Amino acid sequence: MRKPPVLPYRAYVLLLCLVLLPVCDARAESDRATERMAMVREQIVSRGVKDPATLAAMRAIPRHRFVPGSQAASAYDDRPLPIGHGQTISQPFIVAYMTELIRPGPGRKILEIGTGSGYQAAILAATGAEVYSIEIITELATDAVARLRELGYGAVQTRAADGYHGWAEQAPFDAIIVTAASEFIPPPLIEQLKDGGVMVIPVGSPFFVQTLMLVQKRGNAVTSANLMPVRFVPFRRAE
Amino acid sequence: MSVTDRGYRRHLALALVSCSLLTFQLALLQIIATSQWHHFAAFVISIALLGFGVAGTLLALARDWMMARQDQLLPLLLCACAMALAGALWLIRALFGGFDSLLLFVDPAELLRLVAVACLLLLPFLCGALVIGLVFTAGTEKIGSYYFANMLGSGIGCPLGLAGLSLLLPEQLPPLCALLTLAAAGLLLAGERRRAAHAGMLLGLALAAITLLQPAQLPLSQYKDLSRVLDLPGATIIAQRAAAAGQVHVVAAPGLRSAAGISLNWSGPLPSAAAAFVNGDMVGSLPPRPDSSNPRDATTSALPYALGKPHAVLVLEAGTGDAVAQARAQGAATVVAVTSHGPLSEVLAASAPESFGRLLTDPGVDWQTSAPRTWLARDRESYDLVILPEVGGFGGNAGLFALHEQPLLTREALHEAWRKLTVKGLLAVTTWVDYPVRSPARLLASLVEMLDQAGVSDPAAHLVAVRSWGTITFCVKRTPFTAEDVGRIRTFATRWAFDPALLPGLRAAERQSYNRLQDDALLTLLDALFDERRKALYKDYPFNIRPVSDDRPFFAQFLRWDQLETMIALYGQRALPFLESGLLVAGLAALVLVFLAALLILLPLVRLPFKGQRGWRTLLYFGGLGIGYMWTELALIHRFTFYLGQPVYSAALVVGVMLTCSAIGSALTGRLAKLRTGLWATMVAAALLLLALLLGPLLQATLQLPLPGRVALAMLVLLPAAVMMGMPFPLGLRLLNREHPAQVPWAWGINGCCSVVGAAIATLLAVEVGYSLLLVLGAGAYLVAVLSCTSRAAQL
Repeated sequence: MRKPPVLPYRAYVLLLCLVLLPVCDARAESDRATERMAMVREQIVSRGVKDPATLAAMRAIPRHRFVPGSQAASAYDDRPLPIGHGQTISQPFIVAYMTELIRPGPGRKILEIGTGSGYQAAILAATGAEVYSIEIITELATDAVARLRELGYGAVQTRAADGYHGWAEQAPFDAIIVTAASEFIPPPLIEQLKDGGVMVIPVGSPFFVQTLMLVQKRGNAVTSANLMPVRFVPFRRAE
Repeated sequence: MSVTDRGYRRHLALALVSCSLLTFQLALLQIIATSQWHHFAAFVISIALLGFGVAGTLLALARDWMMARQDQLLPLLLCACAMALAGALWLIRALFGGFDSLLLFVDPAELLRLVAVACLLLLPFLCGALVIGLVFTAGTEKIGSYYFANMLGSGIGCPLGLAGLSLLLPEQLPPLCALLTLAAAGLLLAGERRRAAHAGMLLGLALAAITLLQPAQLPLSQYKDLSRVLDLPGATIIAQRAAAAGQVHVVAAPGLRSAAGISLNWSGPLPSAAAAFVNGDMVGSLPPRPDSSNPRDATTSALPYALGKPHAVLVLEAGTGDAVAQARAQGAATVVAVTSHGPLSEVLAASAPESFGRLLTDPGVDWQTSAPRTWLARDRESYDLVILPEVGGFGGNAGLFALHEQPLLTREALHEAWRKLTVKGLLAVTTWVDYPVRSPARLLASLVEMLDQAGVSDPAAHLVAVRSWGTITFCVKRTPFTAEDVGRIRTFATRWAFDPALLPGLRAAERQSYNRLQDDALLTLLDALFDERRKALYKDYPFNIRPVSDDRPFFAQFLRWDQLETMIALYGQRALPFLESGLLVAGLAALVLVFLAALLILLPLVRLPFKGQRGWRTLLYFGGLGIGYMWTELALIHRFTFYLGQPVYSAALVVGVMLTCSAIGSALTGRLAKLRTGLWATMVAAALLLLALLLGPLLQATLQLPLPGRVALAMLVLLPAAVMMGMPFPLGLRLLNREHPAQVPWAWGINGCCSVVGAAIATLLAVEVGYSLLLVLGAGAYLVAVLSCTSRAAQL
């Protein structure tokens, strides 16, 4: 009499792994969601960001999916992280603060210069805004597009190009976010702002945004304002 | 007597290996400064140089074993040294892909890579130092001549290394150093049949040949300017040139534009322009063609031209020539353009004949290659406009350049610039506005103090400033600004959406019409610097904003150590950019080195008897000599940089002359048998104190001499002290060998460790107390050495 075929024990282990893997993954995702909630509560709300759409987006987008594998464990830390090519994914608070500044939402058309990891674009898209994003580094652009599609933000329009020229075909924009700061503000970007539109630019070293610059367009007049997301040492004035 | 002791083979081998180690050190400094930043290069190399200390410790622990096998060991160690010289960079690249210093702040794993890199770079120094130490220990009776060979080799290595850096890319030098070391091994092996050593020679030769054909480059930090620009699509290096003052790269890319701080009202084109880099840091972009519009006219730096057309303009640190092109386009009849980097101008002229090339051949532009600070002191002409180089960087630079000397922004330099102005002349300087405010505050404080020193009773009438969204330009005028001037400045500001920050008759509402600030900190600070509140601000402001001097020209160093705790308590990790990584890395390096050096000095005591005073005397004597030599050398390099007009000339001359003369001094000790150790150390200390006292006035008085005259005088001044500085070490070692031969390698190791630690601490001391005092402290270190042997002076 033939014995029924017996699966070798390795196969059982493999099967067990296959069964448990999604469970572990789900568990990991749930842990990360908890971290994300804590991030919003402790790093963002506590610092004064109030816009419900921004906060909802920050709670929803899995930041850990936008950082390199080696940095995933630190994804919800209160700091920027390197993503390669000399670029960073901004500190969560800075992302939230910039998002709140441009008041994204349904019907708002927003241009992002410097897609980077795609995180900022995903946050903007999650608010219901119409998002256009340009990245000059081809490798970063390709990865960001794939990531955004995978996470269900394929509606974000992306382009691997020189952000200097903006996106003339889709102009004018309600707001422009320049995430890769440079020593000058390209004139075409100012032209592509709607009357009443705003542009936000973080200023600082790669790992620390020291100030944000807000450019506002009213008719032909363009003005700038420095906003300091981090309070500095108040100097004691001599009486 | 061993075979290799015949003739002067060991002397020659010693000279060759010393020469190659010093050349390698210079090449390494530029390689790491290019791939990372200068202070990280200094950090890594300091650790690597501890190879000398490790060698001393090993020799002290295994003296007898090594002495018994010296003939076999010496060629083998030289081969190992050659292999390490040729292969270290290749190995670093292959194993770790280098390291990225900025990631140290976000990724602890990067620290491990940094340590691994330093350890690998330690190998060539360790092997070479073992050779030197073994020869010294085995031949203490001839220490004078061996030390002569060692110092002479290093003395030759300095100019040779600098010449190599001028002719070849820095990564091409290590294999050549390996060949020199193999030649030393060959000398010791001649006529010998030692299979292992011959195999080592062949392996070393093969490795040197491979790395010569395919030099190993360390990858650029992804945060270096050059790296970021090369990441742009279509970026190409259109020119590259080796130079001792820093490697030059010129890069072109369709998306590469530069219009730093340009007005929000500029609607003209911003065409692509190639940019120049020195050691991977961006110097600037090439100016536009003369027939096209210049975006620089829409920056605050155009302020002086709003006041009229200057006839004669002096541009200090002209770099890529954008300020020169602007001056010519604005109608200046003559422009004197001073640049400290001659090779940069040559490369730019060749790679951009239409823009920079035209400027270089423009009869209205007089190009001068000299350190601008020296030019300022030597020049006797007057100018309608003096333009200082831009200060700081967009968004600050995280304190990366805290230890960079900026000799044009010192009290003395500004005063000399002021004296060059014609009756209605202007001095202009632009700075990026940083947060918290540091650069603009220190710059204004310096300008106000300059006016005070010049006897101007109302500085506010002579000083105006205009601010854009990112920059602020200060203009100082010999005569008070007139109502007409003020009107022109207002028109200029309105045209480009700038805000006047300082202006006679300025209304508060005018100061933030176009570029609103979050608070009034900047403006309040600027105002306070004009009156009696200035002194209180210097004392109370959380950053050091006092003007800097020629003796401590660290303009970008704002950190106050007494505020460190407050900063960290207030900001935690976010305090990092305020804490000035350049200074922190130097401080960290000094701490690590002191710890490692102490460990290396203490370790041999496991085997050696440390008998009370005798041990302390050895420690203080040889430690004092090591520290004293380095502090003296670094202080003199600084002094002669100002005198000779080029840091490269100064380093080559001071290090070359000091080592060569010390070599002569060392050789003399063998001939003058009755020399007294303590006496010579005392004389060195006295000579250094005399130098500290008289050098400044002497150099100032002879600054007008032509370069050959200044070089000759510099050599003459250095000669006596340097000859004497070569004597105490061999004298002490010889004495030690008579009394406690087992301590000889330990003493040599102490000297090596303290030299490295001394060099690392020297920078921090220069920041805190200045270079003049550093020279005095160098003399003090020699005095410590003297005191350590006074109680037994009778024996000496």
